[in-house]
Amino acid sequence: MPSTYLIVGASLAGASAAVTLRDEGFDGNLILIGEELHAPYERPPLPAPRSLRATPASKEYLRGEEPFDKALLHPPGFYEEIGVETRFGVRATQVDPSDKVVELDDNDRLQYDKLLITTGSRNRRLEISGKDLEGVCYLRTVGDCDRIRAQAATGRKAVVVGMGFIGCEVTSSLRQLGLEVTAVLPGVPLKRALGEEVGRVIEEFHRDHGIEMLLGDSVTALDGVDHVERATTKRGRLIECDFVVVGVGVEPVTDLLAHSGVELDNGILVDEYCRTNVDGIYAAGDVANHFHPVFERHIRVEHWDNAAKQGAAAAQSMLGKRTQYDAVPWFWSDQYEYNLQYFGFSAEWDELAVRGSLEQRDFVAFYLQGGRLLASAGIGRARDLRRTAALIKAKTSVPTAELVDDEVDLRKLIPLSNCSGADNR
Amino acid sequence: MSEFKTVAKASDLADGELRAFNVNGISVAVANVEGTLYAFGNICTHRRCPLAKGELEGTEVTCPCHGSMFDVTNGAVLQGPAEEPVGSYAIRVEGEEIQVAV
Repeated sequence: MPSTYLIVGASLAGASAAVTLRDEGFDGNLILIGEELHAPYERPPLPAPRSLRATPASKEYLRGEEPFDKALLHPPGFYEEIGVETRFGVRATQVDPSDKVVELDDNDRLQYDKLLITTGSRNRRLEISGKDLEGVCYLRTVGDCDRIRAQAATGRKAVVVGMGFIGCEVTSSLRQLGLEVTAVLPGVPLKRALGEEVGRVIEEFHRDHGIEMLLGDSVTALDGVDHVERATTKRGRLIECDFVVVGVGVEPVTDLLAHSGVELDNGILVDEYCRTNVDGIYAAGDVANHFHPVFERHIRVEHWDNAAKQGAAAAQSMLGKRTQYDAVPWFWSDQYEYNLQYFGFSAEWDELAVRGSLEQRDFVAFYLQGGRLLASAGIGRARDLRRTAALIKAKTSVPTAELVDDEVDLRKLIPLSNCSGADNR
Repeated sequence: MSEFKTVAKASDLADGELRAFNVNGISVAVANVEGTLYAFGNICTHRRCPLAKGELEGTEVTCPCHGSMFDVTNGAVLQGPAEEPVGSYAIRVEGEEIQVAV
């Protein structure tokens, strides 16, 4: 009997794992299950590089600059060609590890020998009055994206709720389409990821592009007849609008693992090898809270590069290869003329050092904890930024004075024994 | 047959260095890899970022914006997101002058 590997989640991580399994010679049954009807595609809210195949960032799709086919990770027929059975348009509802069975919402039950969960995340919803009015949009699926495009085609004025990466990029795209945008957000944009100082840079360039930024405020109600017409904020502002885009964060999709015995904590807990606590079950991508050997803690990353690489790493692990997944997370965010990049992971830091100038939007910001570089973010200095990946991986303390000194080549700060870290891409 | 145009002095471009020049309206990147010069299209085919601002490692250049990698010797894509190659141009050193034909 050939063995059967199931991948639940026709996402980038899932597709990446399927391709890797075949590339590495897995010749058993391989089944890819996805809730949406589409083959895996680049989800609109995931702005980061793609190492699998060249596909466009979907902001271009949002702006109508590229057709949907270009957002597909692989051309039609590809999965059939590499011998992957696809089950699109069905949802996996339950995992039963004792019988090694996954139950689907079409009442089918699939037996597996190994199971990979790549279900990703879903958008948090606003729970306020008027939340179900027409014209209240979220951005995750291609359907969501089409709804926003339709609104933007006829609308003139948008309210964006929340300025995480999704909110920031939607704002910038809508503005580039010529719409007026008011953004309502609790603090500076991207504050949780980038901190106050760098967040202020983002705030300023949105203001410079004519965005009205209502900081320290939140939307408390939406109203209109059938279709949203205005938003009310906590501070009492009434904003007339043609539509609303909500970007208030995401949460991992783990419903199917309730009662499975798989440990859940901010997603699915997995070790360095993407293995859960239950034998034969693995997780990768947005849904996985992965023990990262570089940061020596569990981290859950919601970006493209991680989904692609971690999906591949999980596949290797399923095949019994003992290679830790230790890539330094990396993502980019294109907003207006700015290309923002981020390497590493830092939930908290005790020191922020800057090379270049925040005011001139030409900088690398270094996030350090106890003298160790955990992450870097910047605009306009891609070469320096890319060089920080190896420094982050080196896990040694780095002198701030040299980090901020433009004359110092960051490669010189990498301990020789860690030069292999420079391979991180 | 296009003509060679002088873009710089040979001494201007050290080993491992990468710079962009405008040759007849085309933005061309020139890389010095261990003394051998290569000329290729400076504008990434993915989102039009300038490759000369990227990282040069051996004969590979990484786009500064989104990480696409190209082979500087022939313009080929080594890693996406870019799908299309950049141009590859003839380059020579005449006396002290670096010359490129586009």
